[in-house]
Amino acid sequence: MNPMPVSVSYSELLRLTWPEIAVTLAGILILALDLTVLRRASLAARLRSGVAIACAGCIAALFLLGYSDAFASLPGSMLVITPLTHVVQMALLALAIFTLLLSFSIRFTSHIGEYFALILFATVAMMFLVATQNLLLIFVALEFLSLSLYILTGFDKHSRQSAEAALKYFLFGGMSAGFLLFGMSLLYGLSGSIELPKIAAALSGPAPGPGYDPLLWVAIVMVAIGFGFKIAAAPFHLWAPDAYQGAPTVSAGFLASSSKVASFFIFAQVVAVALAPVAGSGAARAYTPGWVPTLILIAALSMVVGNLAALAQTSLRRLLAYSAIGHAGYMLLGIIAHSPRGLSALLYYVITYALAVVGAFGVLGALESEGIDRIADLAGLSKRAPGLALCLLIFLLSLAGIPPLSGFFAKFYIFSAALESEPHLGLLWLILLAVAMSAVSLYYYLRVLKAAYVAPAPLDQPKLRIAPATRLTLWILAALVVLVGCAPSLLLNSLGIR
Amino acid sequence: MVPISWYLILSAVLFSIGVAAFFIKRNIITVFMSIELMLNAVNLTFVGFAQQWHEVSGQIFVFFVMVVAAAEAAVGLAIIIAVFRARSTLNVDQIDLMKL
Amino acid sequence: MHLALFLIFGALCVAGALNLLLQRHPINSALSLIVVMSSLAVLYLLLGAEFLAAAQVIVYSGAIMVLFTFVIMLLNAGREERTRGSKMAYVIGFPGAAVLLALLADIFITHSGEFHRVHAGEYVVSTAALSGVLFRDLLLPFEVTSILILIAILGAVALARKEH
Repeated sequence: MNPMPVSVSYSELLRLTWPEIAVTLAGILILALDLTVLRRASLAARLRSGVAIACAGCIAALFLLGYSDAFASLPGSMLVITPLTHVVQMALLALAIFTLLLSFSIRFTSHIGEYFALILFATVAMMFLVATQNLLLIFVALEFLSLSLYILTGFDKHSRQSAEAALKYFLFGGMSAGFLLFGMSLLYGLSGSIELPKIAAALSGPAPGPGYDPLLWVAIVMVAIGFGFKIAAAPFHLWAPDAYQGAPTVSAGFLASSSKVASFFIFAQVVAVALAPVAGSGAARAYTPGWVPTLILIAALSMVVGNLAALAQTSLRRLLAYSAIGHAGYMLLGIIAHSPRGLSALLYYVITYALAVVGAFGVLGALESEGIDRIADLAGLSKRAPGLALCLLIFLLSLAGIPPLSGFFAKFYIFSAALESEPHLGLLWLILLAVAMSAVSLYYYLRVLKAAYVAPAPLDQPKLRIAPATRLTLWILAALVVLVGCAPSLLLNSLGIR
Repeated sequence: MVPISWYLILSAVLFSIGVAAFFIKRNIITVFMSIELMLNAVNLTFVGFAQQWHEVSGQIFVFFVMVVAAAEAAVGLAIIIAVFRARSTLNVDQIDLMKL
Repeated sequence: MHLALFLIFGALCVAGALNLLLQRHPINSALSLIVVMSSLAVLYLLLGAEFLAAAQVIVYSGAIMVLFTFVIMLLNAGREERTRGSKMAYVIGFPGAAVLLALLADIFITHSGEFHRVHAGEYVVSTAALSGVLFRDLLLPFEVTSILILIAILGAVALARKEH
């Protein structure tokens, strides 16, 4: 019988989780106020107080994070805090704040308290998700996050598409959880531990569990399937376009940004820490089995399927969904690189991507009140709302990877990290594929911008009225995308690339 | 005296039936039930491996899977009720407002 | 004794799962799932998981499946029809599951010598030991689960409620 692990000190636990506790308390406070004092207040007042309390909670958590220890951990790898997890948690909180500010003008629900509480609790789940190296907490936090996202997707009770999107997301998500759990149970069976570092030690040690080789392969495939669903990589992407299209716009933006950041980080942690001894290689002449070749397959498929399918879309949201699948393919390159540099490049990519996507969905949300969803409906946008059109231009060009916007540097760093990972340019073919697919993506992003800037405007349509809070948030996001692009070192230094 | 590998084979059988049912069943509620079947199969794997290693964390994992599954059932069935209200059908093939 | 119990309840599990797959009416599928879950509880006992066996009966075959049957009754779900989608599902579903099963069974059978044999009563986790680990070492996931349940309640109410 294995010795019992050393017990956790409760005060230490409390001290290390203050940021998460602050966000949770803000969520509970919003719920309590909304269901008691503000019950009879107007929708606008409830929205204002909800956004104010939620943002206050997130900002408090940001300060607490800033003052907490740079390195800390709890027994059992339950919490493993490093400067890198701090940066990711801060990014998650910032994304939550942007999402909250963009939801100032939501009109699709009267359950304001529940809505904001869900966004905050989902953020808490993601903060735990990125700070742990224990399979149990990874599973609980991942399911916690998924449950909140299913609910947020189905929150629009007036839209039939919203319920349907939630159903598809839920069914595919539930199945992927089954596969992920199966993979985790096999990893546990091979190593006798649920802590990522101990799994790695057992797998590289002299006596791994029974049926080592083939079982490990099945475990890798199962874990890849499970996470592949969460990050919407092909061929596990079937839910993504429907969820992006049917969900309320703010939820879709949240789903496409924050959850991507957290899921990619933890996916990278699981394979890079627990499965480090069995990475394998997918280089052209040096193939060895492991998780790297599996991920290369998924990455290549995602790039091709996502970008080619995006060409055929007429709905803006579906276009963003398919382009997200393509981006998931690029981001997998950072995991495939399997180096600290690759991880930093992945985080730079996914954080800047999330900023641009939150912005793009924010623009869509502002347009939606005017009934604009199809690309053709954008005609004349530059005349009707020049500011909004400029923001859309910045976000989409960043997603396409045009210098000097942040998307360009993200692609540059992640491609170069992947290229360096194998000697003799072993992954050159994959990088060439990625570059070719980026060129394809430029075409469909430009098609949207052409509709917004070049297509003749339909006659006598009034100027668009956009809520000031939305406009301010979009400008901040656009400024960030430009700033991080012009001075990448601002973010890169904290991520550990020199 | 039963080898643990027999339990694992049993769980593989249950998991595969769950996967097959997920694709084949047409009623949303039954599709959801097949997900529960898959989770149950995985739970058996965890308990089996906990016995193999004489280690308690596998059993703890199952406890948490149960709790999460219960929460998931509540949310999932609520989503199914919402879909039924909107569409008056429980057939997967008729839930097709958005093209794939 | 152990072998006989394993064979009986293992067979019940597989029969129940197959019945879930083959039945056309959701209520029959739900009842067969209850059979699977209750038989699994016996197998947990054989594997030395006392507390889990009890929790399996109470939480799974009790709470969760009652919820399922309740919703089936509420929505008055009838027999499922065969539609165009179901043919395609057969083409993907059966071979996919068969390949998965063949692969896993092959691995477990060829490596069966490396696995232990279960001796009844050799390694039994008492409820006290389980709760000790749960509240001492795994306090954090336990607390996270409490918020998870809170959002499940919130979400279920918000989603299932009729909007005025």
